Amino acid sequence: MHNHVPPDPNKPTNDPQLNQLWNNISHELRGSLGDSPFDLWFSDFRLAAVSPEEIVMVAPGTMYAIWVEENFKTPLISAFTKYLGSCGRIRFEVNESASTAFAADQELEGGESGREQLARVVPRILVEKVSEEKLLERGRASGLVEIFRFENFVPGENSELAWAAARAVADQPGKTYQPLFFHSSCGLGKTHLLHAIGWESLRQRPKSKVLFVTAEQFANDYIDAIQKNALVPFRKRYREADLLLIDDVQFLGRKEGLQREFFHTFNRLADQRKQIVLASDCPASEINELEERLVSRFQWGLGVEIHRPGLETRAAILRRKRDDWRMAVSDEVIDRIVERVRGNVRALEGALIRVAMVATLSEEPFSPEKVAEVIAELCDADDSRQVGAEEIKRAVAEHYDIDVNIINGKKRTARIAEARQVAMFLVRSLTDLSLVEVASAFGKDHGTVIYAVKKMKKRCEDSAAFKSSVELIKRRLVRGGSPMESPRAKRNAPTSHPRLGYGAKPAEFDAE
Amino acid sequence: MKFQIEKDVFQDALNQVQHVVSSRTTLPILSNVLIRADELGLELSTTDLDVTITKRVAAKVASTGSTTLPARRLASIVRELPTNEIDFEVNADNAATVKSGPSFFKILGLPATEFPVIGEFGEAREFTIDQKLLRDALRKTSYAISTDETRYVLNGVNCIIGEGMLTLVATDGRRLAMVEQDLEFPAGNETGVIIPTKAVNELQRLLDVSGELKVAISDNQASFELNGSLLITKLIEGNYPNFRQVIPNQANYRVTVEREVLLAAVRRVSLLANEKTNSIKFAFEDNRLAISANSPEIGEAEEVIDVRYSGPRLVVAFNPEFVMAPLRNLDQDEVFIDLIDESSPGVIKIDEPFLYVIMPMRVAG
Repeated sequence: MHNHVPPDPNKPTNDPQLNQLWNNISHELRGSLGDSPFDLWFSDFRLAAVSPEEIVMVAPGTMYAIWVEENFKTPLISAFTKYLGSCGRIRFEVNESASTAFAADQELEGGESGREQLARVVPRILVEKVSEEKLLERGRASGLVEIFRFENFVPGENSELAWAAARAVADQPGKTYQPLFFHSSCGLGKTHLLHAIGWESLRQRPKSKVLFVTAEQFANDYIDAIQKNALVPFRKRYREADLLLIDDVQFLGRKEGLQREFFHTFNRLADQRKQIVLASDCPASEINELEERLVSRFQWGLGVEIHRPGLETRAAILRRKRDDWRMAVSDEVIDRIVERVRGNVRALEGALIRVAMVATLSEEPFSPEKVAEVIAELCDADDSRQVGAEEIKRAVAEHYDIDVNIINGKKRTARIAEARQVAMFLVRSLTDLSLVEVASAFGKDHGTVIYAVKKMKKRCEDSAAFKSSVELIKRRLVRGGSPMESPRAKRNAPTSHPRLGYGAKPAEFDAE
Repeated sequence: MKFQIEKDVFQDALNQVQHVVSSRTTLPILSNVLIRADELGLELSTTDLDVTITKRVAAKVASTGSTTLPARRLASIVRELPTNEIDFEVNADNAATVKSGPSFFKILGLPATEFPVIGEFGEAREFTIDQKLLRDALRKTSYAISTDETRYVLNGVNCIIGEGMLTLVATDGRRLAMVEQDLEFPAGNETGVIIPTKAVNELQRLLDVSGELKVAISDNQASFELNGSLLITKLIEGNYPNFRQVIPNQANYRVTVEREVLLAAVRRVSLLANEKTNSIKFAFEDNRLAISANSPEIGEAEEVIDVRYSGPRLVVAFNPEFVMAPLRNLDQDEVFIDLIDESSPGVIKIDEPFLYVIMPMRVAG
């Protein structure tokens, strides 16, 4: 019973509502079970928390909890259903101090003192030897990709914290950060760290069950299980893992059934102090339509952001890659590449590969000056600004001088409604989000978005002043808020905050 | 490695160790039996990484060495060999040749170095107990082990040593079986461990009706040495729940009944047990017990047996399988059923320190 949100099982409930409900339920149970079984099994139970999803009862001992769960589930559920209209999962917490008979456990403790007198015998027992070969076999079975190990991760100032947390979790799963939650934009090493934790953990504890999946795989397995009516093996697979690594959890957004299943998986593992590590392209609180209870659970442990690597780190990463891939590329050339490609690690690798390829194809020695020419395309791609829904909302809010939360809110005074409609219109025209995605970014339905877009188009046609004010916001957005600049100067401008706009972007998957 | 061995001896030894080998394993080496030949004879070992069994047998060893061979396949070959004398030879590539009279087999194995290393056991308490005592105690409790893997602490027999007593308990949340045996232990050996189901099953296979066995228990492992075999198992980590919470401490009525008569009657009546509730009714009154089952779409069954009982009429419904399990594994002629009322747990007892708690099923009407 670890890591659960309150209730504290040792604290008596003072909530009069809960007490009243428990009185009613008790009465109901007495009626259906009879007085003596009720007194025998339920007299020391308490009700600790009630929500539509979950009812938490405090049992006076583990054994009571097990027996009540095994033998009285049906009458309990029907009693709760009668008073609450529905009945979520019933979970038992145990308050051992309430139980009286402790004979067995005390016997155990008595034995502790006698330890010194232990007869020392040396029977033989199994010690497991892991060869690299077996490790690879197990890792692959766990869904891990060979190349992503701690050894070939290059930690820099951008990822120091994430790297340290990952090491800590791999060394002591379930004991340090529960859950560990990485977020960053794509291609910065979240997936690499997830796999690395898996490998290290398997190396240290070869028998532990490590499972790496993307949230999408989890979803597919779930759907598959429902179709084949095989939820039991599905749950067994996930809920019995010692270390569960889930990539791209933002994929859970907007999928209610999946979230419910994942919630239970999460609880089960957390209860048993099994380690969970998650990676997402945005912080938990910004995952679209993620249930509150999941958000709060994701935030329990440690959330770490991996930033974009700085110049030196980028150079270090590329040098490592060059050595790994045995490419004949000079340090000077690498320096040129990292100056120009500021994006994610994948873009860096792409640039390196391209440069190396051109270098091998051309006859004469490759000069650092040629780098710019060869990777020009990649740089352009990196420079094109992508605006997201959140960024647009912020810009519109600034323009109308209101708080961005008001745009998300429900107020419909003329000025606010206009701001909201302008924001919807801009999101629709500047991003490639679908109507439904735009709607959910605003917490509205798609009809509202259609209406807003139509209305704004009309107003732009009707009023030149309105049109120019919308154009102004648009220009600010596209230019990233700074005055016009040469493409070269732009490249050296500070990177836009990588997180902006993720709230509404379609899920981006790290493709590994 | 080269040796000569008697077929019967080899076959028995392989039978004792081969059950540990699981048919579906991720590591091919785990389906093999490790064979080591030294001056004294052979040592056969199998493991699934949780439970390891090692068995020593006599053989005429011409040259020492070790190898691993597929356990199941080897056992089935040995079983079919035509003569009682087997010549065994293994070359450097772990290919074994088996000759017995006119037949010849060549079996490809894996190097012994790949077999998980059998290393050393830490600090442990060691004692000896009577084989028959442990065998009986395991037999009387192990059927109640839970198979629900989500409650892993219940997936084994809880074994408590202390206060001059050996206590074995197994439960699945609907019934509980417990044996308490008086036993002298050296002081300081009090301990409580949970022995996993697989080790319990293997141990039951190895235990004999006479002789002693040597037990060693460390923090997370236990070993049992008996009749030339050594079984080592990991223990289930975690605290076994306080089972005394569910043992009723008093009873209002006692029914005395002949075990075999009751078992046979329940077995017959259960053929028509209600499939939905899987329960049959026990109506006790005045020295008779009427056992009945009623399956709305199939039919009904009733059997009346003589018992010793002098209380008011009581009707209790039980899962027939849960009633039969202890009856099958006891050997006393008479058993006692202690009851409080129609809806409280019943307790089956014998005139030895054993008890079995069984929950009644709720019956409508």
